[in-house]
Amino acid sequence: MRTESEDNEESIQRWFDKEVEDGENTILVYPSTQTIRQIYSKYVKDQLVAARDQEVEGNNNNNNNNSRDTNKQSKSRIILIAPFYETVDSVKYQLSAFGVENVQGLIDSGSLVIADSFQSFFPDINDMKKLIDSLSERARKEGRAGVTAIVDVGFFFLFGGDSKAADLISYEASLAPKTQDGNVKGISCYHWGNYGTLTDADKEQITQGQKKKLLEVTESSNTTS
Amino acid sequence: MPDNKKRLAKLLIVDDDSDIVQVLKMGLLKNGFAVEAFTNPQEALQSFKSDAESYCLVLSDMRMPLLSGIQLSKKIKEINPNVKVVLMTAFEIRHEEFSKVFPSTQVDGFVQKPIGIKDLTDKILGLIGDTKNRKKGDEVE
Repeated sequence: MRTESEDNEESIQRWFDKEVEDGENTILVYPSTQTIRQIYSKYVKDQLVAARDQEVEGNNNNNNNNSRDTNKQSKSRIILIAPFYETVDSVKYQLSAFGVENVQGLIDSGSLVIADSFQSFFPDINDMKKLIDSLSERARKEGRAGVTAIVDVGFFFLFGGDSKAADLISYEASLAPKTQDGNVKGISCYHWGNYGTLTDADKEQITQGQKKKLLEVTESSNTTS
Repeated sequence: MPDNKKRLAKLLIVDDDSDIVQVLKMGLLKNGFAVEAFTNPQEALQSFKSDAESYCLVLSDMRMPLLSGIQLSKKIKEINPNVKVVLMTAFEIRHEEFSKVFPSTQVDGFVQKPIGIKDLTDKILGLIGDTKNRKKGDEVE
């Protein structure tokens, strides 16, 4: 499916919200750092800022109705942003510049986690999975809606060489396309320039025979499969 | 007959952040270097290949899509082992980050962003064998 650029922003958010379900691991190919900044910024704004407003409203309702269910439903997701081509401070700045108010407050409340992707993959690539697992566990304990993990996998392209694809395939293979009762939306983010260096066979393995949902965003349009 | 004509030390700057490229280019031009600057590392490599002997130093960001600074430095050294390569990073420079590729990749120095033009100029001059007292307009043999 191809969508014109005017619909780009909306269709990307629809993909995040509707097409990617809890328990799914997916792939997003982005054309530029600027684009991925817009994507995560809009997602954080839509999810967390709206949820924060709802929580305030929910707490007011709780005070009036003493309803625990209302409170549980209004708890926001945890969003993990793990950039590779920009720093944690840069992500904070971008979010603020996009109009996300009180970014530090979202971090302090545990709703937003920003972690350098390199430090979460190196020296053990399983550390990223451990981080996401711990967030998943915390989300359950806190009665949150779930976790969205937006992870840039640029790390696997840093050193180049033959081990690149092998390590990447190994990592992606460890992420099932769909886990029943999972509460994590996993989104592996590839810069197109990196994704384009992979062979068709590599891509087939990374998407696990296209079982993983893929969103390919271009500057003027986006394609999903 | 010896050629006594002096030439500017030529640098290749590569960073996927166009703002950084512009600032570095302007600052280093002002400090008397000849500078070619790119935001696309593959284009930078092509430029280097076309005139590899003219460059004395490559200053490259480390984390770039298409071609990382580490990959770029490997290719640069393969083409011209004499050229100096300095990697820039906004992240904490950790030995482990490089031990995976060293000593197979020879990098001559690292700088952590942000870095002032004066400090960067000193670093470059230290590597290419000039003095720290070089003034604007001076030329490098």
